Amino acid sequence: MDLPQFKADVDAWLDANGRDLACTFDGIGTLDQQMDQLRKVMQLAYDAGFMRMGWPERVGGLGGSNLFRAYFGEALTRRDLVEPGIYSMPEVLAPTMIDFAPPELAADMVPRLLRGEEIWCQGFSEPGTGSNLSSLACRATRTDDGWLVTGQKVWTSLAQYAARCVLLTRTGTTESAHRGITALFVDMDSAGITVRPIETMHGVPEFCEVFFDEVLVPFDRLLGDVDRGWAIAMDLLPYERSTALWHRAAFLQLRLEQLVAIAPPGALDPADIGEAVQLVMAFRARSRGTQRRLAAGETLGSETSIDKVLLATAEQAVFDLALEGLGPSIASGDDPESARWRAEFLYSRAASIYGGSAEIQRNIIARRVLDLGDER
Amino acid sequence: MESPDLALFRRSVQQATSTARGAELDTRLTDLGWLDAAVEDRSAAVSVMFESQGASNTHSSALDQLLALTMELSLPVGQAAVLLPALRDTAAPGRMEAGRISVRGIGSDAVDRRELAVVPVSDGPDHRAVAVPLMQLEQRRISGLDAALGLREISGDIPAGAAEDLGPIDWAEVVGVGQLALGHELVGAARTMLDLARTHARNRLQSGRPIASFQAVRHRLAEGLVAVEAAAALLDAAWDEPTPEVAAMAKGMAGRSGRTMARHAQQVLAGIGFTTEHSLHLMVRRTLVLDQMLGASAVLTRVLGAQVLEYKVLPATFSL
Repeated sequence: MDLPQFKADVDAWLDANGRDLACTFDGIGTLDQQMDQLRKVMQLAYDAGFMRMGWPERVGGLGGSNLFRAYFGEALTRRDLVEPGIYSMPEVLAPTMIDFAPPELAADMVPRLLRGEEIWCQGFSEPGTGSNLSSLACRATRTDDGWLVTGQKVWTSLAQYAARCVLLTRTGTTESAHRGITALFVDMDSAGITVRPIETMHGVPEFCEVFFDEVLVPFDRLLGDVDRGWAIAMDLLPYERSTALWHRAAFLQLRLEQLVAIAPPGALDPADIGEAVQLVMAFRARSRGTQRRLAAGETLGSETSIDKVLLATAEQAVFDLALEGLGPSIASGDDPESARWRAEFLYSRAASIYGGSAEIQRNIIARRVLDLGDER
Repeated sequence: MESPDLALFRRSVQQATSTARGAELDTRLTDLGWLDAAVEDRSAAVSVMFESQGASNTHSSALDQLLALTMELSLPVGQAAVLLPALRDTAAPGRMEAGRISVRGIGSDAVDRRELAVVPVSDGPDHRAVAVPLMQLEQRRISGLDAALGLREISGDIPAGAAEDLGPIDWAEVVGVGQLALGHELVGAARTMLDLARTHARNRLQSGRPIASFQAVRHRLAEGLVAVEAAAALLDAAWDEPTPEVAAMAKGMAGRSGRTMARHAQQVLAGIGFTTEHSLHLMVRRTLVLDQMLGASAVLTRVLGAQVLEYKVLPATFSL
């Protein structure tokens, strides 16, 4: 199937099934409501085949280019049917499984993720290990029965809903840095796992602390090779900055259009609008180039840090503008619409923090793209 | 253009822009067939040509030729100097009123080598191109910020009968194509500024270490690259939907990105970058003047915002 045909099919399906797909709550809802909505949309989309497009057949997909996935997420976002951040989680997790899990495991598990039957999380960051992943300490020890995992993760998105976790563990010595890391695929209902959601500034407890206390993980849940987990992390990070970011661009464009439509007359300075429009469209143009490079079979790398910096800049420009136009409503409105603008404004402050802070992205650009040598 | 042809074209253009300027560069560009390339594949030829010109800090009458081509003039494209709007502005440089044409615009250094100026003229809501003998117009050679660019301020007030009518033109389209060309030129200049600052940062030692090892310096250069790539991506995408609004948006972004890059490069190059002993000042001057041509970024950005506010829709889709 070609992309124009796919787009037409998607649009027709969304039009025809608007009632079944629609959100059952006003505004941003609770995270529970958002998750229910996400599962519903993914199940319907999987059954209709759209959720399978762009994924390989060996994991239950229908094949074809990543552009199908990019467009489908964009179409759902444009209609406000899903929150793009939580919708895009499979864009990061499924490629890891496809590239590194034993084929039978990937074939068994990935369809559950795409169907919305299961939510997965990504256990990377630790309290002492933010962007410096090579210092992670959550330990996995080999025993006769499997890997025994003890340690803590933090900023683990959606862990309280997750059935599985792609977990990075320390298998080498503490000094082995990036050479002694091993990735495991862990069932979240295993004995010894405790999940504590973290209350956030924007009122959506989307990430958690996860504690592992002698959690037994079978040997066949190894992803990649022992002590080679670093390759998985490096392979995955560019995915974090490709298709998921295209969905985010669609979200920013939608909110910007809604904002200029509802802001009171005279509340918005045209120069500020113009700058936000330029930033959103430049981010979209950049991200489109990245989708096309991925579709052409190119390997994405450090240059995707530019995409992430542009996302953070554009997102904060859009919601700074929202505050300019809707300040009283964001500050004092208790209706669902105001609550949504407020939550999304607050969440935009995190755009330069999550997924590698703006500073880390600039470090990557300086080191890897501009080749400025080592720091200090 | 197919990629081998495009690579060859890029190499030839870069060789020409890095070694020649003015009349000599015009000859070289004619010999390598830049205009034929622009007829065949406008977006590829224009982006290569102008990015290269901006990167080399050189000048030619390529913009005159491109605009003449866009206006589909009946006279040979190589013979006309095409007047641009006054700096900051996008209004046509000529205005028809009561049988007279008042002219106030900018010409490239090609006016020295031409006898005729092509003047885009507004006539109520319509636009036409007219040819005016240059000797009937006042010329002032602009020194200003960037004397090396060789711009001329051209003005005059002539009876309509003294001008040869070249027919109606789509002025908004002409402005848009010119804005995209200037946007690419700004990106080229910005890439050179980044190169200059990067080279300096890697070579300049302080306390025994290259200043490129200091995070404050690294982040300035990274920010510069992000600004340049944002402008470049927007310009490339703009060719897919080259409406006047999209071209103006891309040029506005390119102007602001160029100034962002200039600011970071100037700071990283510090003392030496503030002297005429280093070439940075040439790029900074060029960037500031290019930003003023065919709509300054401050104006284009405000107008874009006003349009979006009025129509409640963003100017482009940039579909997958």
